[in-house]
Amino acid sequence: MKVGYPRAVHYYDYFPFWAGFFQGLDLELIASPLTNRKILEQGLKKASDETCLPIKLLAGHIQALSGMGVDALFLPRMVSVEEKTYLCPKLLGLPESVFAAVPEGMRILTLDFNVRLGKRRVIRTLEEFAEGLGKTRAEARQGFLLAQNWQERYESRRHEGRSFGESMGEFDPRLAGEAGRTIRFDNPDRDESAAVLTVALVGHPYLTQDNYANLNLVAKLGERAHVRFIEEMEPQGIEQGLQGLHKSVFWSHARKIMGAGAAYIGDEAVDGVIYLSCFGCGTDSMTQDMVARIARQQHKPYMVLTLDEHSGEAGLVTRLEAFLDMTERRVQRESNFSAHG
Amino acid sequence: MKVTFPHMGNAWIVIQALFETLNVDVAVPPPTSKGTLNLGTKLAPESSCLPLKINLGNYIEAAAKGADTIAITGGIGPCRFGYYGEVERQILRDAGYSYEVVILEPPDGSLWGLAKRIRYLAGRHNSWTKILKAMRFAYRKSVALDEVEDMIHAARPRLLEPLAAEKLYSKAKQHLIEASEDKGLEEAVFRVQQSIKEGQAAFRGEKPLRVGVVGEIYTILDPFSSLDVEQQLGNLGVEVNRSIYLSSWVGQHVFQGLAQGYRPLRDYPRLAKPYLPHFVGGHGQETVGAAVQFAREGADGIIQLLPLGCMPEIVASSVLPRIQADYRIPIMTLTVDEHSGRAGVQTRLEAFVDLLERRRNRTLTREDVLNVARE
Ligand code: SF4
Ligand code: SF4
Repeated sequence: MKVGYPRAVHYYDYFPFWAGFFQGLDLELIASPLTNRKILEQGLKKASDETCLPIKLLAGHIQALSGMGVDALFLPRMVSVEEKTYLCPKLLGLPESVFAAVPEGMRILTLDFNVRLGKRRVIRTLEEFAEGLGKTRAEARQGFLLAQNWQERYESRRHEGRSFGESMGEFDPRLAGEAGRTIRFDNPDRDESAAVLTVALVGHPYLTQDNYANLNLVAKLGERAHVRFIEEMEPQGIEQGLQGLHKSVFWSHARKIMGAGAAYIGDEAVDGVIYLSCFGCGTDSMTQDMVARIARQQHKPYMVLTLDEHSGEAGLVTRLEAFLDMTERRVQRESNFSAHG
Repeated sequence: MKVTFPHMGNAWIVIQALFETLNVDVAVPPPTSKGTLNLGTKLAPESSCLPLKINLGNYIEAAAKGADTIAITGGIGPCRFGYYGEVERQILRDAGYSYEVVILEPPDGSLWGLAKRIRYLAGRHNSWTKILKAMRFAYRKSVALDEVEDMIHAARPRLLEPLAAEKLYSKAKQHLIEASEDKGLEEAVFRVQQSIKEGQAAFRGEKPLRVGVVGEIYTILDPFSSLDVEQQLGNLGVEVNRSIYLSSWVGQHVFQGLAQGYRPLRDYPRLAKPYLPHFVGGHGQETVGAAVQFAREGADGIIQLLPLGCMPEIVASSVLPRIQADYRIPIMTLTVDEHSGRAGVQTRLEAFVDLLERRRNRTLTREDVLNVARE
């Protein structure tokens, strides 16, 4: 049995987990194609107008599975992946809120993944899910171990500073071949000396790592700067960045963005911070505002780029160039300053 | 210390009662106005939700009345409301307002922590017995307000003089504001009942259309934010029923779910199950459950109200079309933000009510019903 997983939203954080789990069940889990124009267009047709770009893209990716010869679609409801946090309400509303996008006759596999209920409940949920597919409980537990293992491996690769394409490519063969090329950051032929700047690109991985959705921003940025991502930051760094808050952030992704964003702002090795957001993102409306305040307090070059389905490449490039020019001038001025001071 | 809090419809009446019984110095923000919203919009992140913008405006206007402490409820999401307190604190701090923000929630699930915060606001001179008594009375006041409001919903389409219901409503509210014991509450409710009975005696029209209003709690409870949707519907001859009343909110937030309120919310998740089997934060699942309930009760139509970008309600609105199809009931989604105008809302409501009327008179095609949600 071949099962399809839409290359959208939580794919970018948790695909290794689910790929490992399905591997343990001896089932094949394959992701939909890389985002392209058709996927976006089909998504726009089937998703609610008012929702955010990533959910629209999700609707497109679900439809894109229909041509891939898969027997079913797997779309888990990721409620919580760590204690005391949730994922975004819109992810809690999956899969029901995107039923309209599911191709006629395609079977939907789903389960509630919620670690707040305790590990035993998580395992029981996975067992029940496996039984529904004619597998045994033992296989489910096996799958869970492999899932955790693959997820940890993926995360530590990212912490080591390996690119998304390289790290994810281990679990998603399609990515190893295609996306790696577009990421300049891991191009070994690149002339390191040319890049004088280091810029942190903070935001949801489904925006920063989806090269179609972000209009190839990472590659463009990579021509002039070393690019850092939030997934590269270890948990302690994120914790550090969250120190000034009076109340902890209860969405895991927003926590990461907020903590890593603040930490990059405080990091002298980082010259500027770009917050990549998208139209209609509820959690970004809060974190973006708080990250901006920290950047202002610490006089760090900072810019917000907001993507939507109409975003044009030209506008993005102009703003990016201006930001990088400004940041470069700042860096030069500061180095002159310290040389004389 | 002078305490203020954000407006949300009639909530101020209950909160003021609570603090005043405890002799806590309060500054109720001036009623929310266009000016309030403008003040808040200037400070708030552009894509934040409407209630946050109004909250900020309320605080700024309350600061002019000498308020220095904000009491707000919290929670751990997963919708944005749970994080309002902290974001508002930062925004006000950077704008030069030295407010202290007290979030009334059990920090990390600790009821003791919540008790400490209540104690902090109430001060030393109040015993716990007195605090609990004050809370219970405030709760009963909220139930009385809900009873009155529900009667007004029924009265609007039935009283001949258009403004009669509004006059009754504001008089009753005044009585409830002044009431300091149960007797006063009962009397106020009774008086509205009587006046409506008398006024209604002359009503000879056909049975009013019934519309269920569901959606995001703030826009449901706060007429300013929804541009008086319920009153406008009443003026169009519609009897409004709604999913959430103030006392349910008080029961949920102040009593941590121990009190259910005038209109219990507990059945909604079960009713929502076939369409949305999991909570999604805010009242998204309640919206879906209430829509099912109204559909089953034979309402003529349903209106979902939400602020632009509201996460739980966007989830809800993506599943409502299935309820619309299953129960053959027209459902309209009405999104509001700081740019919404009364005229625009009125036009949409008129079109919707017109559709419901034609539907009742059976002069309607299937396309008409299916199109309303998308207009
Ligand atoms: S976090 Fe933001 S972008 Fe992601 S699903 Fe939620 S609203 Fe959309
Ligand atoms: S329920 Fe909606 S409008 Fe209210 S705080 Fe949450 S996201 Fe904002």
